[in-house]
Amino acid sequence: MDLHGYPQAEHGRFEQILNQFLLKSLHIILDSRVPANRPSSRGGEIKKSDKWFNLALGDRPAAMDSLSFWNRSLMEPMIIDIILVQESPNSSSTDMFTETVVERWIVQYDSQRSLAPQIGDASYKKTYKKSIILLRSVYSTLRLLPAYKAFRKQSSSKQNCNFEINYKICSFSSPFSREEEESMKKYSFTPVDAQQGRLSVSVIYREDLSDFNLDAFVSCPLEIITDYVGSLLTDPMRAFPSTSSEKSRPTSFPIRGKQSNSSSPFQRPHSWTSGIHRDVSTQQSQPFSGSPPLYRSPSFSRLRSETAPMSIPHPMMARSPRYLSPNLSDPSRHSLPPLSPRNTKYDPSSHESSSGIRSVRRHDSLRAGELSNTPINVSQKLSRDAKEDSGRFSSLLSSSSSPRVGFSRSSSRLSFQDDFGDSDFSCPFIVDDVDPPDSQTSFLLPHSLNLDGRNSSDVSSQTSSTAKKSQDAAVGALVHMLRTAPPLRKDSSYYTSHSSKIEIEGEVGAASEFFKPRKTSDALEELKVYKEMKDILLSKSGARVAGKENTGT
Amino acid sequence: MNCEVCQLKELDVEHFEIREVLRCILHTILFHRALGLVRPKDIDLELFEITYVQCGDVELERKIDEKIDQFIDRVEKHPNKKNQVIIICLSFYEVKNKQATWFTNKVERLHWEQWYINLNVAQHPKGHLGKSHSSKVVVDPGDIATEARSARRGALESSLRDVLFQIIRFVNEKKDHVPPIPNLEGVSFPYEITISSSSDSAFGMDMFKRMLQTGHPTMLS
Repeated sequence: MDLHGYPQAEHGRFEQILNQFLLKSLHIILDSRVPANRPSSRGGEIKKSDKWFNLALGDRPAAMDSLSFWNRSLMEPMIIDIILVQESPNSSSTDMFTETVVERWIVQYDSQRSLAPQIGDASYKKTYKKSIILLRSVYSTLRLLPAYKAFRKQSSSKQNCNFEINYKICSFSSPFSREEEESMKKYSFTPVDAQQGRLSVSVIYREDLSDFNLDAFVSCPLEIITDYVGSLLTDPMRAFPSTSSEKSRPTSFPIRGKQSNSSSPFQRPHSWTSGIHRDVSTQQSQPFSGSPPLYRSPSFSRLRSETAPMSIPHPMMARSPRYLSPNLSDPSRHSLPPLSPRNTKYDPSSHESSSGIRSVRRHDSLRAGELSNTPINVSQKLSRDAKEDSGRFSSLLSSSSSPRVGFSRSSSRLSFQDDFGDSDFSCPFIVDDVDPPDSQTSFLLPHSLNLDGRNSSDVSSQTSSTAKKSQDAAVGALVHMLRTAPPLRKDSSYYTSHSSKIEIEGEVGAASEFFKPRKTSDALEELKVYKEMKDILLSKSGARVAGKENTGT
Repeated sequence: MNCEVCQLKELDVEHFEIREVLRCILHTILFHRALGLVRPKDIDLELFEITYVQCGDVELERKIDEKIDQFIDRVEKHPNKKNQVIIICLSFYEVKNKQATWFTNKVERLHWEQWYINLNVAQHPKGHLGKSHSSKVVVDPGDIATEARSARRGALESSLRDVLFQIIRFVNEKKDHVPPIPNLEGVSFPYEITISSSSDSAFGMDMFKRMLQTGHPTMLS
């Protein structure tokens, strides 16, 4: 950026605003389009870094943590593509997906040297004020565009979605084809004047999403696991604890008449399920629907399985998806949720994800150890992940054919290190007469940009110990449930998951619930899988726990 | 400072839709004008497939609901016989302390922005056959009435969406007149909401008064 004729402090402040503007707009867009699977941290103190532009959004989406922005120049446009991924209609079992860009957001700073420079401290303050308004309108617009509906559907009923939302961020993009352009509309927000240039945001979006048949209901014969314990690959299973573990309160699993009273389900000590079990016990009188899938996603205010007759909650020990999928004779593309071996974190309350790049995909849901019944065959998906995820965004820049791969070495860098320790940071520009922040420290990139690394190491040790403890208890609970599980029957059962730690944001709180009757064949398939899992578990734990055959057909 | 005025597109609403529609519009405007620190809250409308954003300020919500109640009361007391358009004016002002003189110690309000929400509230059927176009004629077979209702509902939803886009566009296009943001959380600028009808005799007076307040002093002469 041309520094001539500008006081250093003024310029520094402006760079800071620009930096934060790019980050904030990315945060807003990702939050509104990519379903997150972390508990939203709406309650409590607003972090200083979140106060930028007076719009407190809560923690950044995990996706942003993994993006390597270090080499991105502030001068380059930030192009965010929101992509709808659907299985190709002509393929049934093969891994063919069609990806359509349904929205393209372009956030950039247009440098216009011809613009008369405004010297004086009023300029950056005005820029800041106007960008506050701009970001508010971007926020509102995101909720009015057609893709929002798709996002809501994804967030609320992952299991029944026949699509997935993905995104891509880069500094340039291939233009749309003629026919694509015809079906898209453009909306440009009024640019905000800034020092020697303008901040502009625009969006090209597909108006009509009816072609994608987003509302199609997808059947999900396999139900998931109620109590996810952990990945076998990351945390080898331990011996089964005694069933009378430290858990105090029984969870009420399928309540079925007298049988439920005799069973004493467990309360799992998982940090993310603690709330669930507290609540579940209040649901005693409610019918259950099938074997309740456990959604760890904060967007789920309820746990409901769409498919009915299975009333046995079947906690699943973590497995590699590759192990599972061969066992599934189910021709449908649904498979038991894979617990990605890459997942080391089971605590959705930990916002920093160590799985880094993986968080890019929708499989963020797995990151926190939650199980979501993905509509796409997950084992296939994971292999896709392996290919694509590695440095998805950082390599995305390099995967393009343009020589202008955002690794320019200019001094302006988009920095995530905006925390600078909360104590140093003062939110500037709110009041006219506020003292300018210490621009020397604020906009220069600090050495350790690894905001992620710093935090995640703290969290990971904490969560792994939690996970270990949880695993033992979980295994015990699992076994107990297997022993005491009532037979299958057609009743719909209902299982509520509502972690008190997980604050449900308003927009996803109204999750729609789907019930779908299941066929016996589906139940049989599932039963087979459960049996196998049980056998494996039991064999691993030794003869200590004698499993009872799960009767009922 | 000039006063920017935005006339929102007129909407035809039924009684039971008033609350949602007004909440949606008022909160959307306020979200873009509450430039203090906010925690945005997404709210889904029940009657329409629209999500709008609130400031997350409980006090603000209460005030808005109060105003809406007033509006609904007024509408019920004065049934809309002649298809009058009822106007809600949301006005932002700056407080300028006038010099206390012997006679007045008034605080002057300088309005810098005004939004006019125009609602055409359909006649309340009140259970009997009415000639009003919006009444649901009992004789009609259920299907036709339902279709008409859903068509009307669809049209209203689309109009409401248009209004929201109108707000966003206006908010984007006109930014220069917004005063500096005080160091407050949430709603940063004082505002007032007034309700009037197009046929109100007092309405014109209000408008005139407001013009006096916002206009340049030389305008008075």
